[in-house]
Amino acid sequence: MSALLALDTSTEWASVAIYDGTAVLGEETWHAQRRHAEELFPTIERILSHTRVPMASITKIAVATGPGSFTGLRVAIAAAQGLARGSGATLVGVSTLDVLAYPHASSKLRTCPLLPAGRGEFYAALYQERNRKWARRSPFIVGPLLDICRQIGTHTLFVGEIDAEAESTLRDLLGPLALFAAPASRMRRAGYLAELGWTEIAERKQQPLGALEPIYVRQPAAGGTFAQPFAAPPADDQALGLPKRPS
Amino acid sequence: MRILAIETSCDETAVAVVEDGRRIRANVIATQLAHQATGGIIPEVAAREHLRSIDPITDKALRDAGVELKAVDAVAATVGPGLVGCLLVGANYGRGLALAAGLPFIGVNHLEGHVYANWLYDTEDVPPEPELPAVVLVVSGAHSDLVLMEAHRRFRLLGRTIDDAAGEAFDKVARLLGLGFPGGPEIERAAKDGNPSAYPLPKAWLADRYDFSFSGLKTATLRLVRSLEEKGPVPVGDVAASFQKAVVDALAEKTARAVAEHGVRSVMLGGGVAANTALRAEIQRRVAVPLRVPPLRLCTDNGAMVGAAAFYSLRHRGPEMPAGVRSNLPLA
Ligand SMILES: [Zn+2]
Repeated sequence: MSALLALDTSTEWASVAIYDGTAVLGEETWHAQRRHAEELFPTIERILSHTRVPMASITKIAVATGPGSFTGLRVAIAAAQGLARGSGATLVGVSTLDVLAYPHASSKLRTCPLLPAGRGEFYAALYQERNRKWARRSPFIVGPLLDICRQIGTHTLFVGEIDAEAESTLRDLLGPLALFAAPASRMRRAGYLAELGWTEIAERKQQPLGALEPIYVRQPAAGGTFAQPFAAPPADDQALGLPKRPS
Repeated sequence: MRILAIETSCDETAVAVVEDGRRIRANVIATQLAHQATGGIIPEVAAREHLRSIDPITDKALRDAGVELKAVDAVAATVGPGLVGCLLVGANYGRGLALAAGLPFIGVNHLEGHVYANWLYDTEDVPPEPELPAVVLVVSGAHSDLVLMEAHRRFRLLGRTIDDAAGEAFDKVARLLGLGFPGGPEIERAAKDGNPSAYPLPKAWLADRYDFSFSGLKTATLRLVRSLEEKGPVPVGDVAASFQKAVVDALAEKTARAVAEHGVRSVMLGGGVAANTALRAEIQRRVAVPLRVPPLRLCTDNGAMVGAAAFYSLRHRGPEMPAGVRSNLPLA
């Protein structure tokens, strides 16, 4: 048997899932706050045990690469790199915003996932189906909701970590153009990350381990020297497609 | 027993393979250069670098040791004290590696690592183990800790700095005198031609306690340099020698007092400042028991010291390590 382990600690919400290419065998999504480092490994071990998938059957690992909390992202990415080195599993990174938008592809609505970026700002990107292809159609954005809403001219479905205050700001800014998914379906779940990761691995060559870098979007505070490119949207042929479901 | 050990608490990404807590099979250290331009460590920059380096450095350590992961018995990583964002990279990478390879994971206290650096060797001959009980002085840009080691994994923190670390004071005064970075070796070089009694500077310790305080000394040195500048060129050698003497006196005095009070059988040093020859000479002059100092590459942060501490942590029960990481993890 061959299974995929999906890990996501991009924000205060964390999620772990195991997927076998057909079904999500187990999944746990919880409000970890800042306890990712304490809770990630016990959760992985619990899900392995509940799903009766031995570690030796994990041949693929998918990890959420952000944008999100810098420290949070590194917890799962470091863990995933160690797991991949120790097991020989194929490792793949998937943008956290891609994971959030993905379950809403069938809505046919333009979808805007939001994640808190601190200081009242949000990470965002816009997703839309065009020529029957669902893909990210904007670069990764970071900024206050006002700036994000400037890029929105049509009905848009908001998903992700949107508290009551953010929801009312969006309604004020966009009026009837702002649509909201039900709270439970706004959540980020590693089951979706797993499906995307599986497809990614099936369709592409493996990324070398060291090349897995978080999508930081923002520079480090105080004199940082890294030139992290502002990630451009993927070319159409590289864009996130709907995974081929077994027929 | 072979341990793969990871250290990422500050700005060194380091991975080692250590046998039976003493013999170094591989010890790979990547010092981050990004911080030289900024003249100080920016935690977020350091954490980003650790994440880039940790996997290639681990791969190199295994190749240097000539072993496969299958031939390793445990994985260890520093879980504190240190910069949280940096600790998280090494600790989570190590936990992942251990889970996937079916190995135990051992969280290690970084200060215990500095102490156990005194057990390491990579030579043909096997040096004798240090004698216990011992007093251990760990001094670097990040630490100034005076520790009583009663037995394996039985530590008592006797004193520490209440403000700057000793190495930090060296760095700041070196900058003040227009010398290079890191300040320790630069001050030592300049002090060679200077008169250590040229200028009286305040003591860098607290009476009745084993704690140090270097911030008053630093301020007094700043004031001294400013007043000398008004009179003409600053006699850099004399200032460096006087400052170094004040630091060394504080460290040696407290160390010697601890040796006398606790009747220990040896003194050990750790941390980058242990390279200072004036410090070693002054401590040896004041104590009658043998002084152990690891080679410089094992005094500064490295993975091998984490592997040594992890081995003795498996062998001798001691304080439980946290499930996550702790920036201020105490020694005991
Ligand atoms: Zn250290």
